[in-house]
Amino acid sequence: MSDKSINRDFFSRLNLFIQTHTALMAVFIAIILLIATFIVSPSSLNKVFFGNIILLTIILSIPAAGQTMVLIGGGMDFGVGAVMSATAILTTYTMRGQNGHFLQVFFIAIAIGAVVGLINGICSVKIGLPAMIVTMAIANIVTRMQYILTDGVLSGSASPALAATVSYRIFGVIPAIVMYAAIIWPITFFILNKSRYGKQLYMVGNNPTAAGLTGVKVDKIRIISYVFSGVLAAFAGILGAAYMATARCQIFDGYAYDSLIAVIIGGTTFAGGTGSYAGSIAGSLVMILLSNLLTSFNLPSPMRNILNAVILILLLMLYNRSKSVRQ
Amino acid sequence: MAIRESLRRFRRKPAFTGCMLFIIVLILNIVVQGWSTCMSGGVTAENIFAFFKPSALTSIFMSNLPFILITIGQALLLIVGQMDISIGVQIALVNVVCIMVPQTTGCPVWCGWLVGFAAAFAISAVCGFCCSVLRLPALLVGYALTFLIQGINVLIMNVPQGTVPMAYWKPYQSSVYKLFNNPPAFLKFLDYIPVAALVLIVVLLIWHFFSRRPFGKHIYAVGTNPRNAFAVGINPVSTQMKAFLIKGFFVGVAGICLTLMSASGNPLQCEEYGIKSLSAAIIGGMGWGGWGSISCGVFGGGFLVLIQNTVYYFFTLLSKLVAGFTVSSYWHNFVSDLIIFGGLLMTIVTAKEQRKTLQQGLKAQFKRGEKNVR
Amino acid sequence: MGEVICLLEMRGIDKRFGAVVALKNASLTVKEGEIAALAGSNGSGKSTMVKVLAGLVAPNGGEIFIDGKKVEIKSGTDSVKEGFATAFQDLSLIPTMSVKDNILLGCELKTKGGFVDEKESRKVVQELLDRFHIDCDPDDYVQTLMPSTQSMLEVAKAVFRKPKFLLLDEVTASLHYDEIETLFGIMRELKAEGVSMVYVTHRMNEIFQICDTITIMRSSETITSGQVSDFTLDDIVYYMTGAKPKHHEGTGEVSAEDYTDRELVVDIQNLSIAPKVKDISMKAYRGEIVGIGGLEGQGQSEVIRAILGAVKKDGGSISYLGKPTKYKAPADGVKAGIGFVSGERNNEAMFPIRTISENIFAGNSAKGKLFKFLTSKEVKKFSQDAVDTYNIKIGKLKDPASSLSGGNQQKLVVARWIAMKPNLLLLDDPTKGVDIHSRQEIHDIIRDCAANGMTVIISASDTEELMDISERIYVFYEGEVAAMLAGENKTPEHLVSAMMGIKSSEKEVE
Repeated sequence: MSDKSINRDFFSRLNLFIQTHTALMAVFIAIILLIATFIVSPSSLNKVFFGNIILLTIILSIPAAGQTMVLIGGGMDFGVGAVMSATAILTTYTMRGQNGHFLQVFFIAIAIGAVVGLINGICSVKIGLPAMIVTMAIANIVTRMQYILTDGVLSGSASPALAATVSYRIFGVIPAIVMYAAIIWPITFFILNKSRYGKQLYMVGNNPTAAGLTGVKVDKIRIISYVFSGVLAAFAGILGAAYMATARCQIFDGYAYDSLIAVIIGGTTFAGGTGSYAGSIAGSLVMILLSNLLTSFNLPSPMRNILNAVILILLLMLYNRSKSVRQ
Repeated sequence: MAIRESLRRFRRKPAFTGCMLFIIVLILNIVVQGWSTCMSGGVTAENIFAFFKPSALTSIFMSNLPFILITIGQALLLIVGQMDISIGVQIALVNVVCIMVPQTTGCPVWCGWLVGFAAAFAISAVCGFCCSVLRLPALLVGYALTFLIQGINVLIMNVPQGTVPMAYWKPYQSSVYKLFNNPPAFLKFLDYIPVAALVLIVVLLIWHFFSRRPFGKHIYAVGTNPRNAFAVGINPVSTQMKAFLIKGFFVGVAGICLTLMSASGNPLQCEEYGIKSLSAAIIGGMGWGGWGSISCGVFGGGFLVLIQNTVYYFFTLLSKLVAGFTVSSYWHNFVSDLIIFGGLLMTIVTAKEQRKTLQQGLKAQFKRGEKNVR
Repeated sequence: MGEVICLLEMRGIDKRFGAVVALKNASLTVKEGEIAALAGSNGSGKSTMVKVLAGLVAPNGGEIFIDGKKVEIKSGTDSVKEGFATAFQDLSLIPTMSVKDNILLGCELKTKGGFVDEKESRKVVQELLDRFHIDCDPDDYVQTLMPSTQSMLEVAKAVFRKPKFLLLDEVTASLHYDEIETLFGIMRELKAEGVSMVYVTHRMNEIFQICDTITIMRSSETITSGQVSDFTLDDIVYYMTGAKPKHHEGTGEVSAEDYTDRELVVDIQNLSIAPKVKDISMKAYRGEIVGIGGLEGQGQSEVIRAILGAVKKDGGSISYLGKPTKYKAPADGVKAGIGFVSGERNNEAMFPIRTISENIFAGNSAKGKLFKFLTSKEVKKFSQDAVDTYNIKIGKLKDPASSLSGGNQQKLVVARWIAMKPNLLLLDDPTKGVDIHSRQEIHDIIRDCAANGMTVIISASDTEELMDISERIYVFYEGEVAAMLAGENKTPEHLVSAMMGIKSSEKEVE
């Protein structure tokens, strides 16, 4: 009897720990996945592997930054994938493998991201449509525009110089993309934790009515979070194009879900009001390591899909369950 | 007077939005399709009402019935506060099972259908278990299950293949009139009723049976506020599980319709239906949890189907009106997605209308309340 | 079993929510046909006790006996089966369903085929509504009804279940006095039929009016219980708070003439806001505490929100510091130096999952440049100062705000604003459901601020509180000012008669 109760106490404490240290949990899971990868394929323990993991994690962590902000504010942005694909296509389409044009691409891409984010924000916040549905509807339109622009064929490629700023390995290991991370990560951290905007965003996500009565412009704060998300996704699209060199339509659409799951694994919730960017970065790492591990199993693709699904559900079960009606 | 009263009541119903949008796009479709057909085939009564041609009606119903059925299923889940975006690949699963079971075991086709139904129930139960018993976020469960089900589909059937005997798919792809061997002429009107429409009506009647039972009330309570439903002795988890199983039934029917429609199997089809059915249900007037009805699903699904049809005829018409006008099919998709977005925005207009009526009700209440105080 | 069989007995109930103890060895006994009051200050565990019986809270320990038999209540279904019906404080109605469906939820009337019998349902519900004097259609959506009607429906729904035990958790909080009378009438009828009731309330007079026995809880424990007739009001307050109540003297007697030389801060002329506020004119001067009194829902909170800019006015004017206001959102009001404290702290003031420090800093967060760098030190100092100054009892600044007790949460909200040094502080029933001790502390803070030149407008449902703190009182009745009480006119008798809409000849017109 007492044994049982001690056991239960231990589990409830463990549960409490997991609930309150989600970012740490994500790191923990990442370490487990890393170890699993080495056990499955010891040969992958090399410079190329680490470089790739870092590179991919950073690319994912950029749209995840925007997604984190939107989720904290109580929304959801399914448009990040489509925006990334669109700006990736814009990059290759404009650059056509030539150096130069960077600023032009940069500003147009950012403008596209901002406009899409703004429309997302207005439709879901001001007009009050369900965020998931409306961002997806807008993402569809963005995707259709990619096809109309390119006629569905591959065209152009990113400039070699831009590609180098992403893929070049410093000391042969660290990909050059860390320079971008060195700018974007601190900025995101500042926005979320050290600025009034961040404080207001958390307040809005936790209790919009109270935030409004406290003097926060709730709609404005939320719309800005969507704009951030659009802009960050647009920037990630450029980097993605630089990494892939060429871009077909819908190339990065998967990032909509990937960023969402990465952020959720990192401890941000659909309900809004909690979460941290550190967690989202760790969550991104988990996502990248997971897909890497699944490929290294050398399973046939259906089995890989099934395994992926099972692991995702297990991860969600670990600490993303909502409260029971009975306390 | 009574008509006006019932109209007023209808305006407050959630399905009002979807119904209006549906009627608008229906009229648009009839006009555009008629016009387009007239441009190529000359102005005849038959061409003006080309939409109502038995073959056209049959074709639009049979090819879109699976989508409408899963939209209904999605609407049911939305009422109980859940959703399932893997619903699209679930009908592919039923399709794959319906083809492969007879093909590999040699059992009769209907046997395969039963197994297909069982698969639909099983996968719905799994989804329900994850969403309501384990309380995981439905969106992410649906995403994960999409992987799972696609994996299973490919394991069962690695490449598109298989056939269905004509005796099975032929009736589904025809009108009720054509079911008869030597039909008397006075039954000619039955030519306007596709068998697929009949299937839809039967499914709706089955739903009607459930909705008139206490269960039909409980789903709304559970969807709006599970705690309060729990407090009066309703088990939210089992109510949600029941809803998932009924959705499984819809998926089963939809999967068989899909099989009869294509008369073959494809493990990797219909994935986009998951999200599309969700948008359709929302356009039909559903809210998240406890707001909306099954008819929202029917109208919303119908809206999406008719939009695609209309856009197709619209571009055909344009190419005839403007000499040398050609665009790729990408433009079709672009325009229909724009209209779907417009449809979503339209729900606001009607929702505002509903809010107004609600507010009027509130004001009337205040006046009554004041009387009370005096 | 002793000489008198207790129908319901709860023994040694324990409940922890994480680290927070909600119930500690709590007990309760109820006999047949008895109305048992459950009293205690906020956060003392009353509602948790009710939720245990309703099956919403799973206790960590303890036993429940009915008729001497031990029972386990594991779910709402179990609770209903044992004969409980509960009317919850935060209502268990489903807003998107009709009145009829709500009342019959979970016990639908069925035809022989197992379908819902709509016709019979409508008839039965109409009868029930008549019995409770609820004036609404069985087919109305609940979300279109007034809060007080909803509360009555909540009780009606519970009574409809023909329970052996009726649990009423602060149901009278938003009821009009005539509705309370109806309710008490029905409770007496039920009592005569042998129904046992547990009645949770904050209103002392109701305990003496209707209850037979009383059980008092303090900080998660049952302190005492007995016949109501054996207790005086002071006794109850003593057991609830652990301190003898102080009878506070009213603030200085100021006559109306004194105001001419003081700065006019708020000037409201003929304000109307549909549907509740019809024609309100009032003034507030610098350094003054102005009270707004009246029965619940006479337009008090609308007027206060209109000053802040949270509610759009339909007519009339509001001037702040001599200029007419054109606020589109509360943000504009806050920018102009107005603070707002709501009594609905869960819905309108607290950020429960954010830290205590962030909650205190919230007012500061909301004001100023969006992307200015804030150091953690700055935030920490600000909140630590507030905690120290206003004596808020906290664990750590980093704990979530939901870990605080109700009274401390409310102190936090008041402190949040006062630390911002607003020109004008608006308080909408700030001590709703706050225990007496914290209430006194909040009052002291407000008095201090007013003495330092802050203008305070406070609305309160409690007449004593209003008498206690305000210099002048505007009494609202049906969206109009029924009376303005100041100086000698400010007596409890005048206040109460004005609240009831009895316009006295002494009504002052400014």
